[in-house]
Amino acid sequence: MTTTTYAVDVTEIGPVEVSVTEYGPGSGQPFLLLHGGAGPQSVTGFAEKFAALHQVRVLAPTHPGFAGTARPGALDSVGGLAALYQGLLDTLDLTDVTVIGNSIGGWITAEIALLASPRVSGIVLIDAVGIEVPGHPVADFFSLTMDQVFTLSFHNPAPFRIDPSTLPPAAQAAAAGNRAAIATYAGAAMTDPTLAERLAALELPTLVLWGESDGIVDADYGRAYAKAIPMAQFQLLPATGHSPQLETPDQVIHAIWDSADTDFSAFAR
Amino acid sequence: MPKTAVTRITHSCHLIEIGGRTFLTDPWFSTRPGYYQGEPIAIAFLPKLDGVLISHEHYDHCDLQAFAAYRDRSVPLFVAETVAPLARKHGFTDVTALAPWEHAEVGGVTITATPAQHGVYEVTFVLRAGSDAVYFAGDTMLIPELADIPERLGHISLALLPTNGLHIRPANNMQVVMNADEAAELTAILKPELAVPHHYAFTKGFLGDRLITHSDKNPLHFQDASRDLAPETSVRIVDPGTRVEL
Repeated sequence: MTTTTYAVDVTEIGPVEVSVTEYGPGSGQPFLLLHGGAGPQSVTGFAEKFAALHQVRVLAPTHPGFAGTARPGALDSVGGLAALYQGLLDTLDLTDVTVIGNSIGGWITAEIALLASPRVSGIVLIDAVGIEVPGHPVADFFSLTMDQVFTLSFHNPAPFRIDPSTLPPAAQAAAAGNRAAIATYAGAAMTDPTLAERLAALELPTLVLWGESDGIVDADYGRAYAKAIPMAQFQLLPATGHSPQLETPDQVIHAIWDSADTDFSAFAR
Repeated sequence: MPKTAVTRITHSCHLIEIGGRTFLTDPWFSTRPGYYQGEPIAIAFLPKLDGVLISHEHYDHCDLQAFAAYRDRSVPLFVAETVAPLARKHGFTDVTALAPWEHAEVGGVTITATPAQHGVYEVTFVLRAGSDAVYFAGDTMLIPELADIPERLGHISLALLPTNGLHIRPANNMQVVMNADEAAELTAILKPELAVPHHYAFTKGFLGDRLITHSDKNPLHFQDASRDLAPETSVRIVDPGTRVEL
């Protein structure tokens, strides 16, 4: 595991520094793994496990503004983050990259797909936010207590629940920074009313994975996401909430790696 | 008489030299999300072409956007009828649509369209100059009509054949390209001196190969099958950029 800071020049935004933690062999099949509002540590264990199990190369950036990192003022949207990561793939000269994103990371992933870079060959959306689905709003993160967030985020919240007031000051400051970054990038609604319509033109292999117990964005929201993308395959993950890569990482790895053997018709219910 | 030769550029894109003329087949020079050659594109710049053959409009066979950069857009194009309007739209001025068994002449080389079957309308081609003839099979399935080629067009010397047996998973796993065994079966029918496989390295990427397509990426399967079914034919697996003479 190595962490490198890259300077990426993003059109209409300018130079952006982004910290990227890399797992697995440099020669492995490349994956770009994008965390959600839960922060970069919410994908660390999954990245380690996936890279070790299949000898793949996993690149996990920290979205600028998260975990105490700097965010340039002009980088203030999900679209901006998508442009940043497309620039990162250019900088690293990677091809046949599968982009995996959870929650807001899934929204960024969808926007990257729409940029149609030949470097990106497929996307995996894991309990992604970003589209508007009538009758299935994204839970209002900013009006919830942390205890409620944990309850809605996990099938079994007990092992993951923490009392933020017990965190050391540096961790509390980082958590406040994360919250501010979420508000800046995603807004309170965490949706873009134009996204679903734009996704209708997407021609990219897409796997949509959804925790059956997700209380932040429910399973029908996930089905609507898959329906918005031509030929996307939808798979429900049992006993799993909003952060499957945290709660049931083996299930997520299996769903991605062995997707050729999955009977997706079983999940269309 | 100059030698008949073929240089595979990538996938099903070849330079064919026959009768002292040079032809390009199914141009593909760029990549798009989910469309990768899986092997190099072995050309820095194209030589002067006497003609271009395009079997159908799929991007990996008909990359007109990239090919429009060729220095002479009055180069004669011989294409499936569905490709003709696209070619004209990209500025090509000498476009001839050929239906199966229709033919045209370029500098002493006869170009005959032959039948095909694929996910969309497609034709394949035979190029003949004197006693040499090259069959270019695009990415067709093996269909009974192809057995008529030797009878109608004479002996085939060199066959360029797809071998990956591509299946489309979301379309009830429909097969749209002949596989290695079927290509060997066709080789036994055509009885060429030389057969060169193509259309096998193609990949839709990590996820696309799992969700959208599945295919046989090993051309040795064709070589093995041909050894049994068409032992008189020499099979050469050719890296992009390698020129092979008949």
